[in-house]
Amino acid sequence: MATIAREAVPHDPARREQRQPTLREMIAERDRLTAETGHYYGVTELSLRDSDPIRYERFYSKLHAAVLAARESARFVAASPGSREMGECLWGIATPEGDTLAVSLGFLSHTVIFPTSIRYMADNDYDVNDGIEDGDVYAVSDGLTGGVPHPGDFYSFVPICIDGEIVAWAIGINHLMENGAPVAGSWATFSVDTFMDGLVCPPMRTGRKLKQESWWKAIWERRTRAATMNILDDKMRLAGCAMILKATHELIDEFGIEYYKRAIREVIEESRRMVVDNMRATLVPGTYNGCAFRLVKYEGLQNVWSHANKNTLIHVRGSVEPNENGLLLDAEGSSRWGYHSYNATPGGVDCAVFLGMINSFSHNTKVTAGIDLAVQRNYPKGSIYNPDNEYTSNANLWAQTVALNSIGFGAVNRAMFARGYLEEVFTVDGNWGAFQGAGTTADGTNYGFTNFEWLGGTGRGAWCYKDGEPLVWAAWSQMATIGDAEEFESTVPPLFYLGRKLLPGYFGYGRYRGGPGNSAVHWCVQPGRHVALTRPNGGLSCTPSVGIGMSGAYPGPGSFMISARGTNLDDLIAEGETPRDARELLAQVEAGALKVKNLEIWKTDCPELALKDNDLFVDAAGSSGGWGDPLERDPRLVIADLDSGICPDYEFVSNMHGVVAHRHDDGHWELDEDATRAKRALLREARLEESMPVENWWLAERARVERRDFAPEVNEMYAQSLSFAKFRTEFTRFWQLPGDFSFGEAEV
Amino acid sequence: MSEEFSVSRDLIRQLVEGTIDDDNTERLLKLPRKDKDRFLNYIAVLQERVPWDDRILLRLGDKLYVVSKGAGRRETQCECGHSFGDYRENWKLKCRIRVRDTLERMAEVYDPAPAVPEAGWQEIREFFCPGCATQHAVEVVAPGYPVVFELLPDLDRFYRDYLGQPLADEAGDWYEDRSAQVTAHWKQAG
Repeated sequence: MATIAREAVPHDPARREQRQPTLREMIAERDRLTAETGHYYGVTELSLRDSDPIRYERFYSKLHAAVLAARESARFVAASPGSREMGECLWGIATPEGDTLAVSLGFLSHTVIFPTSIRYMADNDYDVNDGIEDGDVYAVSDGLTGGVPHPGDFYSFVPICIDGEIVAWAIGINHLMENGAPVAGSWATFSVDTFMDGLVCPPMRTGRKLKQESWWKAIWERRTRAATMNILDDKMRLAGCAMILKATHELIDEFGIEYYKRAIREVIEESRRMVVDNMRATLVPGTYNGCAFRLVKYEGLQNVWSHANKNTLIHVRGSVEPNENGLLLDAEGSSRWGYHSYNATPGGVDCAVFLGMINSFSHNTKVTAGIDLAVQRNYPKGSIYNPDNEYTSNANLWAQTVALNSIGFGAVNRAMFARGYLEEVFTVDGNWGAFQGAGTTADGTNYGFTNFEWLGGTGRGAWCYKDGEPLVWAAWSQMATIGDAEEFESTVPPLFYLGRKLLPGYFGYGRYRGGPGNSAVHWCVQPGRHVALTRPNGGLSCTPSVGIGMSGAYPGPGSFMISARGTNLDDLIAEGETPRDARELLAQVEAGALKVKNLEIWKTDCPELALKDNDLFVDAAGSSGGWGDPLERDPRLVIADLDSGICPDYEFVSNMHGVVAHRHDDGHWELDEDATRAKRALLREARLEESMPVENWWLAERARVERRDFAPEVNEMYAQSLSFAKFRTEFTRFWQLPGDFSFGEAEV
Repeated sequence: MSEEFSVSRDLIRQLVEGTIDDDNTERLLKLPRKDKDRFLNYIAVLQERVPWDDRILLRLGDKLYVVSKGAGRRETQCECGHSFGDYRENWKLKCRIRVRDTLERMAEVYDPAPAVPEAGWQEIREFFCPGCATQHAVEVVAPGYPVVFELLPDLDRFYRDYLGQPLADEAGDWYEDRSAQVTAHWKQAG
């Protein structure tokens, strides 16, 4: 590596002799000053900025440039496709206490976990025994001690020290291709506890002087299935951190340590103020509520671990309340943790909910820890977001925490709609997809993989004034790109794309429709000795990814997948008509052209699926929700969708939007305005005839609630959520039930 | 940056109507900060569009508003003029509801077939205005789930602290969820 940490040449020999504060003392001081004043680190005046703004901004520009350059260089030094081609990486610089100062492009909400890792190191005296030095390298992938969302996301922390004192941390992050869990890939779908999550590292030193120890390479080789890719990524993260370390030393040489120490506090306080100001400028105070659900179907699949052999309906509940200091995001009422892979830790949930918050409120200021102070969070102990058990699995937390982000982000959009900033307002979904697995080639070479493509770009939900767009959006990154198909074909040797396209009709309907989701057909060719995969999606759960539509529209549909094993694909290839997406595959099966011995449609997690020659694996993900009443849609837009083929089923859209049209011989559709007007009137009448006053529904439904006449998973969900006072109050007051009404909470 | 931005009411009208072009949308999205007088201009544009004279206090949905009825009454009201009553009560409780709780009925609004939610764990609730049948809301939730109060605004704080234009009928109990009073009444009557 070109950059080597400098030898410990003291800047000031006298200073070197002084006792430096411990990390624990530094964090306590930060906490005290912030709590006492309500300003970050007690900074009430932005004295450096106000006295010499040019110098101050030049200082920050250099800091920011360091992390931007780290990303744009390091991912081309060495990296797996997910990091090199897509947005699945990030570099940042943080204060000694772990508070973010600047971040690169990439999945930027990951910065919010930095303080968790540093606090753990401080609380456990890492700097006292046996010391933290300039250019050390720490690996972190644990949710509880490091705040990491899931161990598929891997972090490298490099301390930056002057005269023995920690002055900053350089941090690099990326999503691994494979992290060594029993379920191969990077989101171990069937983990029961943390011991099945793969390579989980609490903060641990793996290198010195910007060089990894030799044993660390052995860990990647022996404990993961994609050692080559993971070692490349490890080098990538460290290369970026080395650049940040060098740039920071140069910055301190130029500006002086005292200026540096004051400036890093000011930039965070400055951005906190901007964030609070942005919230006040764009929100309407009040209480915003949202919910989402995720079905986990483990029953019958977890026989080895009988305590996990059950289905679970996860309840995601969130409310947002703007206040003088920013806003409160409250997840009380969400499910309790369980023996499944969907639990989170507070750091991991932060990673999710700050996706929307950073995008919404840090867009015109420095992206720092300032926003951490402006967004207050409540993740009740014992809940799925703050388990009271230190061994819970968090391997696949994204599959449900993204919904909590969508609720918070959605609240921001509701507020901006009320405030009149309509140009910003769109429906937030978070229906992502990916697949993962492992194989052995004919010559005995093992490999593991993750295909990130539907993580890279999803449909954007409908705006409140126009349709959503396909592929352009990803809640977790500004870098919406699905990557090159060829990259993934080279990563997974036996899988080739037969098709990769937008899936017609696959969106939430409304006055404006969501951006359509995506579908790909993967073809297995010469799998060698073995290849098998699983799928960890958000929305792969018999539910939409969010529970509440916007202004009368339907939320985006959930994701699904199809395995077609034992096919006559050779016949179809000979005829030149192979399926390109899920819809085409199902149509060809129905028409009898594609013959399949074992066709399975998966609406929830599938067990590991082994593939043979000519087997097909088809996915669909990335759909998004609509906006507004579907009967209000401009009929001309419906015609345009029929003409383009994005709406493939005339009967469906005719009934959805109340539009009547006729198809010409050349394939184009023509609107029948009079018939459309009449059909819309009929559909409105039908709405009133087929509906009832909510009061009547409530009376019947209440009796059902009293009988607890629901599926076992639903009853258990209520038992869990009613164990939290806030939701219990809401539920019992809504249904007018006694305060001690129970679904068996005592047993939860 | 001390200069103030202003966005014309015509452009706001285009946003409301969905006729704004991409260039103007981009221009608005790229404003370094938002125009401070947007809310009042927005309300003025909305007020022109509705067929009634009640003062709009807030817009909740495409055709759904909180309005002042005078004499200390603030109500949620449809664009057609149908009132859902006191805005502190979840307006959905005064709607008509259609529930889709079978795969067949859910498949009428979700496509393709594998993307349809599963009955038993989920149901689709559609909330209609009793006056004009506008679909104001959709919930896809577990059976038995309380109807979600999507937004209870704190109007007094908004008008006083955010806009600097306090409402004449300010009172200490406007920011109070009173939905349970509705269901309590139903229980009593039922």
